[in-house]
Amino acid sequence: MGDETCSQSAKSDQNGKSWLAIILVGLIDIVLLYGITLMYAQGEIAFALLTLFLMACGSWVFISQRGYCYRYVFPGLLGVFTFIVFPLLYTINIAFTNYGSNNLLSLERVREIHLAKTYSSGDGSWGFRLYQEGGGYHLVLEDNDGNQFETLSFGELFEPVSIQAAPLKPDSAGTTGTPLSMREIIKQRSSLKQLTIIMPDGTGLVLAGLRKFGPLSKIYEAQTDNPLILTDTRTGETLYPDMNSGFYTDGTNEVGPGFSVYTGWKNFNEIFSNPGIQGPFFKIFVWTVIFSALSVVFTLIIGLLLACLIQWEPLKGNGLYRMLLILPYAVPAFISILIFRGLFNQNFGEINMLLELLFGIAPEWFSDETLAKSMVLIVNTWLGYPYMMILAIGLLKAIPDDLYEASAIDGATPWQNLTRITIPLIIKPLTPLLIASFAFNFNNLVLIALLTGGGPDLLGATTPAGATDLLVSYTFRIAFESYGQDYGLASAIATLIFLIVGLIAWLNMRVTRRMQEG
Amino acid sequence: MAEVKLNGISKSYDQGKTWIIKDVNLEIHNGEFVAFIGPSGCGKSTLLRMICGLEDITTGEMHIDGELINDHPPHERQVGMVFQSYALYPHMTVAENMAFGLKLARADKSIIKQRVDEAARMLQLEPLLERKPKAMSGGQRQRVAIGRSIVQEPRVFLFDEPLSNLDVALRVQMRQELSQLHRRLKTTSIYVTHDQVEAMTLANRIVVLSPLQPGAKTNLEQVGGPLELYHHPANLFVAGFIGSPKMNFLNAELQQPGEEWSTIKLTSGETLKVAANTSSSACGSQVIIGIRPEHVLLLPDKKQDQTEKDNTVIATVSTLERLGSESFIYLDHDSVREYLIVRVTGSGLQNENDKLGIHLPPKQCHLFSAEGLAFSRTHKPELNTCQS
Amino acid sequence: MAMVQPRNLKYRVWYARIALWLFLALILFPFLMIISVSFRSGNFATGSLIPENPSLEHWYLAFGIPWENPDGSVTEPFFPVLLWLWNSIKVAFFSSILVLMLSTTGAYAFARLRFKFREHMLTAMMILQMFPAVLALVAIYTLFDKIGDYIPWLGINSLGSVTIAYIGGIALHIWLIKGYFETIDNSLEEAAAIDGATPWQAFRYVLLPLSVPILAVVFILAFIASIGEYPVASILLHSMDKLTLAVGSQQYLNPQNYLWGDFAAAAILSGLPITIIFLACQRWIVGGLTSGGVKG
Repeated sequence: MGDETCSQSAKSDQNGKSWLAIILVGLIDIVLLYGITLMYAQGEIAFALLTLFLMACGSWVFISQRGYCYRYVFPGLLGVFTFIVFPLLYTINIAFTNYGSNNLLSLERVREIHLAKTYSSGDGSWGFRLYQEGGGYHLVLEDNDGNQFETLSFGELFEPVSIQAAPLKPDSAGTTGTPLSMREIIKQRSSLKQLTIIMPDGTGLVLAGLRKFGPLSKIYEAQTDNPLILTDTRTGETLYPDMNSGFYTDGTNEVGPGFSVYTGWKNFNEIFSNPGIQGPFFKIFVWTVIFSALSVVFTLIIGLLLACLIQWEPLKGNGLYRMLLILPYAVPAFISILIFRGLFNQNFGEINMLLELLFGIAPEWFSDETLAKSMVLIVNTWLGYPYMMILAIGLLKAIPDDLYEASAIDGATPWQNLTRITIPLIIKPLTPLLIASFAFNFNNLVLIALLTGGGPDLLGATTPAGATDLLVSYTFRIAFESYGQDYGLASAIATLIFLIVGLIAWLNMRVTRRMQEG
Repeated sequence: MAEVKLNGISKSYDQGKTWIIKDVNLEIHNGEFVAFIGPSGCGKSTLLRMICGLEDITTGEMHIDGELINDHPPHERQVGMVFQSYALYPHMTVAENMAFGLKLARADKSIIKQRVDEAARMLQLEPLLERKPKAMSGGQRQRVAIGRSIVQEPRVFLFDEPLSNLDVALRVQMRQELSQLHRRLKTTSIYVTHDQVEAMTLANRIVVLSPLQPGAKTNLEQVGGPLELYHHPANLFVAGFIGSPKMNFLNAELQQPGEEWSTIKLTSGETLKVAANTSSSACGSQVIIGIRPEHVLLLPDKKQDQTEKDNTVIATVSTLERLGSESFIYLDHDSVREYLIVRVTGSGLQNENDKLGIHLPPKQCHLFSAEGLAFSRTHKPELNTCQS
Repeated sequence: MAMVQPRNLKYRVWYARIALWLFLALILFPFLMIISVSFRSGNFATGSLIPENPSLEHWYLAFGIPWENPDGSVTEPFFPVLLWLWNSIKVAFFSSILVLMLSTTGAYAFARLRFKFREHMLTAMMILQMFPAVLALVAIYTLFDKIGDYIPWLGINSLGSVTIAYIGGIALHIWLIKGYFETIDNSLEEAAAIDGATPWQAFRYVLLPLSVPILAVVFILAFIASIGEYPVASILLHSMDKLTLAVGSQQYLNPQNYLWGDFAAAAILSGLPITIIFLACQRWIVGGLTSGGVKG
């Protein structure tokens, strides 16, 4: 059928309801447009464009008759686009920047921060007295001419605060509370340092010594011909944004905070040339492939054998067997993984206790590289075989019984049955599923994050990297663990994983298609 | 009750690159029972679905009761449809199935009940009203499907091969019930089938459709009453499609055109006389003679006067099919591509490889031009005379 | 599998049975162990499979009831397990409902309606489903950070964010439901159209009631998947009272604060309902997995 079905179905579904739809869509659009303007104003161009694009699609679909069919798919596609496609594209975008905890803000924001920086210039000074009243404090300031000003009350301060000050009568009788001694003032120094006092004429005062407050001046001011370049008002030095490093610099020193800039292929170059990243990256890549392949092989072998076994008629009660065997799949993985983490614990784990009792050994599951890797594989096999078993049971049921009857007449052994009949018959429909399973394990973050956290750590790595880390968990740790989070680098690795996963997906499609054809 | 008018209706799924249905012009009168018949792929079901609005009309105009309905959604056309698979809603009882359309139209509850009961009575479905379709036989489901359309009081009934899922005995019974129903309700009905017996027995008029040949102007081959199609097929396609077994076709050339009688010469050399008007054709043009197996006569004696009688050819028996009450004899003859089939009553006493003289009565022969169009027959067909 | 029975069948059956039970013992060991651990007193107690002096200490704490030690001191529950479980259930329930609604309507269009790019969209979804959200966590974090600026209850550290983040995983479900819809005779909806139903009514009154089994399967699959989801939840949720079970449980086994016994009780308490749901619906889930698997 052609497109016409679509508009045709629409005809019968629009009985005066279209006005309502247009009004509704219009209202939603107005709200969204407001949001888009806000985003644009804040410089969130990517998000503004995303919302605009989705809004335009949505409006067309719900107003135009020709978009009728898309009304059913649009909400779903919206979800897929927003939470899968857009993040993928955004991640690739980040891969070419230095976005990270050191370079979190936009250049515009960083410039504003620099311009807001102040220092106490020392032109004139105000002596002060600190008074305590109840739980609060207030200050009385006095300038060189004897004019007195009183501030509002403040408590213990941990972050910068501005408070107003108002003129006080010449005699200090107007103020209340107990004046504090120098010793007390020293105790309160950290609080006082956070204060900016706004005088009635608008100047701001900050603590300029133990006995006096001084007026504030901006450290930097923007050059008129190039507003991006800042001049230090004290020294006359210039500070300019370095578009390569993402920091303002005076030529030798970088002044934080950094801003995010496009760095081209830098992150990718890092991966392939920086020995602190390249070494772990390739080690982890190889381990990821080995881990995924072995997981598939082990779960397949065990699952297939068990499927054959419980499908075997003489073995009565296979309903019960099946249920018990599926149990590892039924329990949520995060619980099972944590259980294993406890059981394998070096000192208090029940597995080591048992081994100690039986063989007198206590393997260091979490600190020895080989042992950690085998533990990860054991746990993953335990978690994954029921899935293979379920699939294998389904496929085995599709094999006609008479094939086995015929082979029995030919005198085949069970082993020959398995290798000559069962496996050749199920391998074809199974292949795409095995590839999918490979892809799943390739990205099995949950297992690693909850079981070993990636450890034991690899030596000589500049970023956190462990022996059992998979590429995903490595990425995850670079992006979210400890300080120095490097989103750019993490995204670059993620982009490489996209390519690998894309390759696997393509392979899977081809295999599936070939299976359907033949 | 309504009349349906199809005006140059065409259908293409790929914006005119290939056509499924091309330029169908048809007028269906009020109260008529019309059957669409044709081999699979001729677009008969598509045509029906275009009438009820399940398929878009690519070009052409469709009217019901003089109203242009090209762009009407199905329910606004006020037609009832009985599907090949019955399409009963499995999760509803018979009563709910029948009431569904009225409920959607927010009809009054008492009206719904009254109409459902009436339809149930007419179709003897009363004891089944609370059953689900799963618990019913094929014939009962069929009746529910009909009942569901009756309740809606449609202007036109559409049937899409409704009997093809039933076994033979039930099919005969349902055929009669349908026929009675039509006589009672007198609603215009359109019936799609590939079974010519159904079409011949049920319909007032039959529409023969063919799969569209490349270059053909239309795939509407002929419209006419059942016997008209049998006796006066307009072309080779209809001649070959109506009647079972198929009409025999012998290749020949026109020796002597005439207004009442024409003389032709078979490619194998024999000369035959045919009651057909060929005055418009030139001497020597290629023609095709058609004769139905039941109209071919066997000469009583094998070797007597074979050539003396007119319109006689000699052929060799290839295969015999003996069905008891009648037999089919498959003969080899040079002017026929496959076999020349002869129907005889009785058990057929002939043997394989016998040489038989067969007579082709001139008034029973059809004559077609090389393009496949029939020359008009000049004599009323004789009554069938069968022999053993 | 039918086989011609050899004479030594009886022994073979016994071998198989013994092997199966040994394997089962190995598989079930962690479960038995964790049950045992949950009844031991203290978090470092060792002992045999059946605890010598069983204590309900960890169970009290798991249910959020302070436990009075024999020496008179009172242990307060460290983590709000029940709250986490409740969070998990809320997130899973609402996200499954959303997933179900979106994938059902989507599947309907893909199965029944014909429109441009239909095939392309289907293929694209098939491929996208292989890219897990894990790979784009930075972007997802940023996305919700930005969303939170405008709609706080969908921002970082809100259950709403996790709920809608799971919508991304509908591709597989669309395929599953679409496959089921395609087994339902199309002429049912055509009959409904002739009866006067709009496409939406035909979908709502004819197709949906007939698809309840597959919808149940999809709901359960989505529910279980989102209960167990860790990566996205772990970056979006921070404060103790907002965590889901999958993120929160991990805190029990922090090397600085190792609460093995408490974990055991909490794990059983929270894992049991989910396991029971899974086993109860096993038949449908298995059916869904195999058909989805064989198709995809």
